[in-house]
Amino acid sequence: MKRRDFLRNSSMASASLFTAPFLLPSGRVFARSGSRLVNHVVFVLFAGGIRNQESVDQGYLSTQGAGSSGNILPNMLSGAVPGGSLVHSPWAPALSTPLSQQGTLFRNLRYASGPTGHYNGHTVAMTGNYTDTGLNLNLNPDFPTVFEYYRKHSDPMPNARSCWWLSTELGPYPSLNFSRHPEYGALYGANYLMPGYGLGEAAVQYLGSLQTLHPEEANRVQGIKAQLDGFFNQGPGQVTGVKNSDEDTRSIQQLYLDLLSGADTLDLPLPDGVPSYFLTGDGANIATGWKILDRFQPELVVINTTNSDICHDNFSEYLSALHKADYAVGWLWNKIQQHPVLANDTLLICMPEHGRNLEPNGLVDANGLRAFDHTSDENSRDVFALIAGPSSVVAQGRVVGTPLSPVGESIDIVPTIAHALGFLDAIPPGMLPGRVLNEAWT
Amino acid sequence: MARLLFLAWVLLFGACERTLERDVIVDNLIYGIDTIPVYSTSAEKDKLKTTTQFVSTAYSQLYLRPIPSGTLNDLALLRSSHGDKNLIGELVISHFLADNAVLATLPSDAEMNTDPEAFVELTYLRFFLRLPTAYERYALSRQIVSDPETTVVEVYRAFLLSNEYLYY
Repeated sequence: MKRRDFLRNSSMASASLFTAPFLLPSGRVFARSGSRLVNHVVFVLFAGGIRNQESVDQGYLSTQGAGSSGNILPNMLSGAVPGGSLVHSPWAPALSTPLSQQGTLFRNLRYASGPTGHYNGHTVAMTGNYTDTGLNLNLNPDFPTVFEYYRKHSDPMPNARSCWWLSTELGPYPSLNFSRHPEYGALYGANYLMPGYGLGEAAVQYLGSLQTLHPEEANRVQGIKAQLDGFFNQGPGQVTGVKNSDEDTRSIQQLYLDLLSGADTLDLPLPDGVPSYFLTGDGANIATGWKILDRFQPELVVINTTNSDICHDNFSEYLSALHKADYAVGWLWNKIQQHPVLANDTLLICMPEHGRNLEPNGLVDANGLRAFDHTSDENSRDVFALIAGPSSVVAQGRVVGTPLSPVGESIDIVPTIAHALGFLDAIPPGMLPGRVLNEAWT
Repeated sequence: MARLLFLAWVLLFGACERTLERDVIVDNLIYGIDTIPVYSTSAEKDKLKTTTQFVSTAYSQLYLRPIPSGTLNDLALLRSSHGDKNLIGELVISHFLADNAVLATLPSDAEMNTDPEAFVELTYLRFFLRLPTAYERYALSRQIVSDPETTVVEVYRAFLLSNEYLYY
């Protein structure tokens, strides 16, 4: 063989190695768009405004001078549970090994800029850019969301069904599934669902007895619609939101109708023997997120919890909500690890959208505990992040950052997800000011 | 010959001189109660309906009465709870089209098939608030005739899911 032929053949072989589709253990084929660490990321915005004093510092009642310290997040963090004077009903952990031992804990991470409002915090976490934009019920964010980066810069472009955003509340949150950035937008957006209403009582009332269209009927409707659209000179615009393929539309509608009709039910993140009326909005959101993960195996899911925001006027209920949300996160991780596709191929990231103030606001609950707001003081900029995943990918049991030497910022989660799913290098320079939280990797 | 010339003059110029004046009641336009053409062409529609407008117009054009405020609130929130508005819109419209109160307002499939062009014209008026162009009338009539399985409900569903229906 001539040297020139050898070089040509060997370079072609090398190229094919990097571009040819390959078979995953799950039997799924996809083409590489970049080097991936995992094929699934679940980002739990452990939101509602969480102080590090009650989470990673495990202060419990001691910061109020009202009782013991202790860990009320036993699924996420290592540490002894509170010894006494309990103001919440403790649930046995869903996990035998806390997530901090199955991943890396960024103990002190900064929400460095902008108001510490819930919508701002969510926007920062999901766009990777700080924002001063106040609450606006009708505006999508200025900067692209992580979903848009994922869809636009993965090759081949994933369907909308590959990414989901689930929120516990409406208000401005539905607008976080895509931005109004001129280069991105609804075309690259995620599916959005607010289960409390979208699959709630009203949904059952109006849609519970429906069935999906017969394929022939759907084809005829599509044929007439296509003809009508052909005579009209404008597209649907962003008013129709994200667009699923016809096949995905049918499958998502089927999921909704199955749940609304009772043909399928949600598994609930509750310990054995705890009645379903103990389910919180956070728990319902995570339960629905799991149903979507189980049925569709999306690659990118963002779920929030917000019940802890009751801390504005009830510190005891805040602790209780934190404890239950922690259980739901542990329950979700258990489910993921029992799934044939998701197990050992999923990264779980948890981070509050912001913290809360150091000083109380003057309100006192029935147990005499003081309440806290979040008005952009330094304490409300101190949060944590937890990244759990396969031991081959994520450093297990590592803790980085201290109060005096924080590591990482809220804007780092988006580039970290982009790195894990292999599309970071395709994002144009200057779009993401944050960095990959490389301290988490093995 | 003179009579023919006179007739031609009347047809040519008389029609042009005729002036139509019509008061358009805004609420009727929004809620789609009128069956008179509000738009002369689809090009006049350049504003996207809000969620509230979409739900309320669909309801009123199917039930032929304004939507109750509680129902409007429920359905607007339901639509806001889902990211793919078409996906959830299809389900809401399916709910409407399965309601006996709506089915009672629909022409029968036999009526549609007996005079498809008249059906197409009325359907354009009902949902698009305008008359179809000659080609639109021809094309949809042909599509209905070419597939005898086509139902009134399917045609209505397609209108309510069309891009033009998103605009006013």
